[in-house]
This record gives sequence, structure tokens and C-alpha cells, in this order.
Amino acid sequence: MIEDLTGAIEITQRIEAPPEIVFAYLTDSRRFVKWMGVGAELDARPGGRYRIDVDGEHIARGEYQEVDPPHRLVMSWGWEGHPTVPPGSTTVEITLTPERGATVLRLRHLRLPDEGERRQHIEGWKLLTSQLAAVVAP
Amino acid sequence: MEAIASRRRRKILRLVWDAERSAGDIAAAFDISWPAVSQNLRVLKDTGLIQERRAGTHRYYRADQRALGPLEAVLRQMWTRDLGRLRDLAEQEARPRRPRHD
Repeated sequence: MIEDLTGAIEITQRIEAPPEIVFAYLTDSRRFVKWMGVGAELDARPGGRYRIDVDGEHIARGEYQEVDPPHRLVMSWGWEGHPTVPPGSTTVEITLTPERGATVLRLRHLRLPDEGERRQHIEGWKLLTSQLAAVVAP
Repeated sequence: MEAIASRRRRKILRLVWDAERSAGDIAAAFDISWPAVSQNLRVLKDTGLIQERRAGTHRYYRADQRALGPLEAVLRQMWTRDLGRLRDLAEQEARPRRPRHD
């Protein structure tokens, strides 16, 4: 299959747990905040919205487009106030495939802005520095 | 301790993000000793995230936005780190009494 993955990233993660449990961590607010952000309000149904307080400073939000437990989740994604990745501008697609009692999670973050667009709005990077600082922390 | 240091580095990074600032300006934004600020500046400098310019006895700092890499790299880092946490939690819940084997 030939697919254009320009402006996209793909991450695959094998998890030794059934898809039902993994799906609950993706859609249940209480479980969700244990792995991402410091606060989350999730209304995981088609057309429902979510709001994630990433670090007490930056808010990610979007809308669920597909919710098919425990197989697939598609939602729009963006940061409030971000010039190049505002809410609604990108798409996160997660699929869970069962594999002998485990789950293969594939996440694709699609429709990312191209390099030229980003250069015009370099300021937008500022919003991602908290992520970055977590990276540089030894 | 490390979390505090990390928070301080975040603050420094924001201060020097789009404007060059002197060592004195940066120190003034903190209520901690200069050696503590200086140590965090050195860590950021070593990782290439900020650049230092010397003029006489003064030192100036500015973020090197190129060192952040493309958006893809930042997002990849974020998702990889967070999904790693999700994996650990889901595996714990699936097998509460058995340790994880990599």
C-alpha cells in the first residue's frame, strides 16, 4: 500500500494488555490523566469533545470523529492559541489490534502543517517548549 | 529536585525564546542564587537549546529555535513518552500481581 505520510507521524506500541483496557485508558478521563496531562475532560462519542490540560499552561482540545470501542478512535487535535496547530487543524487516529492477548496500538498524527507554513509562524514553537523541556531534563 | 530544575529550565527557555537576554536579566527573573541559575543555563547550553554570546564581561543568551527540530520530532517525542506511560499503566491493570518483562 502506498501512502503519503508527509505531514504525519506514526508510532506503534505493543502493550501486554487486552484492547478493552487500553481503550479505557484512551477514553476514560480518570484513567487518561494518569498518562497524559494534568487534567482531562473527555466526552468520547462521535461529535463529543475533549479538553486536555497538558501541563497547567497549555490546553489541547478537539472533537471525536470516530469512536469504535475497543478498536479505533479518531479525533481532531490542536492547542488553544497555537498559530499553526490550533484546535481542529490536525487529526489523531488510533487503532488497536489484538494480538495473542496483547494489543498493538498504532497512533498516527496527520495533517501536520508543512515546514514553510511553520517558518512563518515560528512563534508557535513557544507553546511546545514545555514538552521539550521535559525532554532535556536528564 | 530534578522537577524543580526542569521547571526552572522551562522558564529560562521561555525568557530567551524570542529575545536575547543578559545573564543579569535572567537572574532577575528568579529568586534563587546566581550559581543555581547559571547551572541551569549551562545545562541548556550543553544541549544546544540556547546559545551564549559574550561581549566583554557580559554574557547574553538566546534560544536556538532550530535545535527544537521539526514539529514532527517534538510530537513524536511527546507521543512516544506518553504512550510508554499508557503501556505501563494498562499492563499493570491487566496483570496487577506480576512485574513487567521487557
